[in-house]
Amino acid sequence: MIKLSQINKRYPNGHEALKDVSFDVAQGEMVFLAGHSGAGKSTLFKLITRIEKPTSGQLFVDQQNVSRMRDSKVALLRREVGVIFQDHKLLMDRTVFDNVALPLIVIGMPHDEIKKRVRAALNKVGLDGKGGQKPVTLSGGEQQRVGIARAVINRPNILLADEPTGNLDETLSDEIIDIFADFNRVGVTVLIATHDLRQVERLGKRTLHLEHGELIGDYRHASSGSQTSMKNTDEARTDG
Amino acid sequence: MGSYFARHVQVFLATLGDMVRTPISTINTVVIIAITLLLPSLLYVVIKSSQGLSDGWQGRPQMSVFLQKQVSASEAKQIFQEIQLHPSIELAEFITPQQAIEEFRLLSGSVSLDEELAFLGTNPLPPSIVLMPNKAAAKAESLNELKEQLEKFEGIDTIRLDLDWTERFNAILNVLTRIGLLLSGLLAMALVLIVGNTIKLLIHNRRDEIEITKLVGGTNTFVRRPFLYYGTLFGLFGALVSLVFLLIAANLVEQPLSKLASVYQRQSLLHEIQAMEVLCIIAAGAMLGWLSARWSVAQHLWKIKPS
Repeated sequence: MIKLSQINKRYPNGHEALKDVSFDVAQGEMVFLAGHSGAGKSTLFKLITRIEKPTSGQLFVDQQNVSRMRDSKVALLRREVGVIFQDHKLLMDRTVFDNVALPLIVIGMPHDEIKKRVRAALNKVGLDGKGGQKPVTLSGGEQQRVGIARAVINRPNILLADEPTGNLDETLSDEIIDIFADFNRVGVTVLIATHDLRQVERLGKRTLHLEHGELIGDYRHASSGSQTSMKNTDEARTDG
Repeated sequence: MGSYFARHVQVFLATLGDMVRTPISTINTVVIIAITLLLPSLLYVVIKSSQGLSDGWQGRPQMSVFLQKQVSASEAKQIFQEIQLHPSIELAEFITPQQAIEEFRLLSGSVSLDEELAFLGTNPLPPSIVLMPNKAAAKAESLNELKEQLEKFEGIDTIRLDLDWTERFNAILNVLTRIGLLLSGLLAMALVLIVGNTIKLLIHNRRDEIEITKLVGGTNTFVRRPFLYYGTLFGLFGALVSLVFLLIAANLVEQPLSKLASVYQRQSLLHEIQAMEVLCIIAAGAMLGWLSARWSVAQHLWKIKPS
């Protein structure tokens, strides 16, 4: 589903965000991307959604070569990839409904269908009856749920979540991550960037560990918490 | 197709709603556009009105044929009938000495000339014929030839050709038309800059929305659509308001112009704007607004990328 081959990313200021990163994520897999701030997690997401282009290497998303993708095709790629941001990226002057409906408006879906889908998505993330409210009236956790509803409304094949639990307490974090696990259970490929190792250990999913732009580990935690395998082991990719 | 149309209607209504929600800035922009469109429209009306005045003379010179004073009324009529039959003459009007004195009274603004006439003892003005040559004879050479031919008629005293004045008037109109075109071009550029700058500010204000729309898969066409509607609507409303201003301006000058018109024996000098001209002004406003928005969007929208 996602394949990176010797990806390097150097920003114009000379900062090397990713160095020779290679890995595969299979369809229906749920993978954690772990690492400290500045490890390259966000850059990786920017490359997958073509917000940035790699300096070198090949990146495939759903068999499309994103590194060589024409600008006119980028919008179509982004419709296949739902993204959740730590800062939610919501339109504060619009209602929750408007925010969640945006990806459907963009593809020109009829209004009646949009209403049905938004209602279902809000129900799924536990925000029933909050469609008419402005995001500013919601708590941080609820705002994150709006972001999730918006990311999944278009039924994407891939979900990327960049530090989705960054500002949330443990209970809320668990709830949010469980929503992602639910989507993964129905076949959505999920990639979650986090430095919250508790979540990684709790779910026992495959984990890619980035440090200073390098992939230093590709392993799997057992849900009990014990680390079972190390870098680039094929056994680690049998999840999902 | 229905969905495509529905999407446009949706964006159109949303844009209209946004404009209504920010009335002050919308009114400011619309009034500035209206004033920008008003200036060339006013100049157009002035030129058209002047052309109308010139068209009163068919854009052709007039020839005034003054008969000798001793010519009797029946002889004068006969000369008039003979001249009327000349192939180069399109229109001929016989003016009796009495009509001439009435016209003089009107032009000079004198209520009564009785005292002056009493002093002179008789009407000093001769009978005359005002001629308008046909198109073929309207050139300077042909006119001189016609003048020479008419001078041979018996009973004719002098012939005056009003060629210089009409030529000068038409030359002034030509200069005015050129100035009008130049001014229209410059003001069209100003309008593009005004609307373009407004769209630039709108793009800046909606930066977050643009970024997020692009992040969730909005194409450039989708993102720029509301801004194109903004430009078109600004231009459209600006044109409509400029027409209102034009009507107000026309009403303000109508009375003094009517007085002037009466001097020229005309009902009105002011060019009445036709439905097609109204449509042209509206279309020009909308088109310029759309072009400005398109230009501004091309300049600024691509710079906004999701981060």
